[in-house]
Amino acid sequence: MSKIPADLLYTEKHEYVRKTDDKSLVVVGITDYAQGELGDVVYVELPKVGTSFGRMDAFGTIEAVKAVSELFAPLAGTVTEVNTTLDSDPALVNREPYGDGWMIKLRIKNPADFDQLLDAEKYKQLVGE
Amino acid sequence: MRPTERALTWHLLIEPDGRPGAENMAVDEALLDESDRTGGAFLRLYRFSPPCLSLGRNEPARARYDRAAITRLGITVVRRPTGGRAVWHEHEVTYAVAAPLAALGEGSVRDSSVAIHRRLAAALRSLGVAATLAPRARAPGLGAGACFAALVGGEVVVDGQKVIGSAQVRLGGGRAFLQHGSILLGGSQDLLTAVSRETAVSRQPQAASGTTLSAALERPVTFHEVVDAIIAAWDAPLTSTALYRPLPSSTAQFSDPAWTWRR
Repeated sequence: MSKIPADLLYTEKHEYVRKTDDKSLVVVGITDYAQGELGDVVYVELPKVGTSFGRMDAFGTIEAVKAVSELFAPLAGTVTEVNTTLDSDPALVNREPYGDGWMIKLRIKNPADFDQLLDAEKYKQLVGE
Repeated sequence: MRPTERALTWHLLIEPDGRPGAENMAVDEALLDESDRTGGAFLRLYRFSPPCLSLGRNEPARARYDRAAITRLGITVVRRPTGGRAVWHEHEVTYAVAAPLAALGEGSVRDSSVAIHRRLAAALRSLGVAATLAPRARAPGLGAGACFAALVGGEVVVDGQKVIGSAQVRLGGGRAFLQHGSILLGGSQDLLTAVSRETAVSRQPQAASGTTLSAALERPVTFHEVVDAIIAAWDAPLTSTALYRPLPSSTAQFSDPAWTWRR
């Protein structure tokens, strides 16, 4: 069974959102369930700082076991920081998806976007756990 | 088998004449787009003409391959939309499957990949090749060398050596996937070693560079006999469809050196 922390929000495409003390800044990554489904991650392609995305726009790609999948922005916003550690150690996404395997920090545009996200209970139902 | 698998009719495209690498990648990606939009499923069996070196989408090619040597030798290069590592496409049947996620298994990469490989292995066995699927193992990283030098669990092998190299991508709406790969008829992947920047010491041993159908059967194997075997083994209705015309606009992107040598 995968880890689904109660204090995070989720998308139907398996990204998570962690709120921070700064109300308009969030941390985005992919869930433990997603990394388990993908398998061994070998490359994460992330956007440049300053890039803006609409809600559920593709913000990057992830490659695991020779398969490339897109990553989606859970909320509209602008990238303030990317996890450059993933360049040299992409398997952090497998080992610590909610910790050092985070992907981007987003300065969100529209707080109402939070209403579109799933809480942990709904995400558990989505993945059948 | 799930009901959706039975209900699905696959569109079959056979292209024995071959196309340049950029066209092949653009057509495969266009089929993915069409599958994503329409829910259609496509099986394309094709070739590369001229022979072509393809790079994985995220492969660090600038560090690994000698671009000047590749240019000097007049080798055409394309970067795939899919993952994985480099392949030399010369004596092979290339396959592409673009289909809805639910068409093969539960939709995970592993499910769809294994389902395709089972069908391809059955096709090869019908030709007399002792093809099996490799046991699950930890996936090699992008730094593991050429495609046929590294084995992933679930891939098609003969006597433990890889005979089909495949890779996958899921883009756009996320309702469909593209998997394409090379079924080696003959020849070798030695060209990749010749244009590699790696030292002789760090190169993979020759025994790990895959095998071919001709080597396994000890006779020449043709494009058409493999195509016929795949069609017979596909285990779903297939209907022939027109070849892709005109060329997809993404052909220009796949021809652009900025894309090919982006890493």
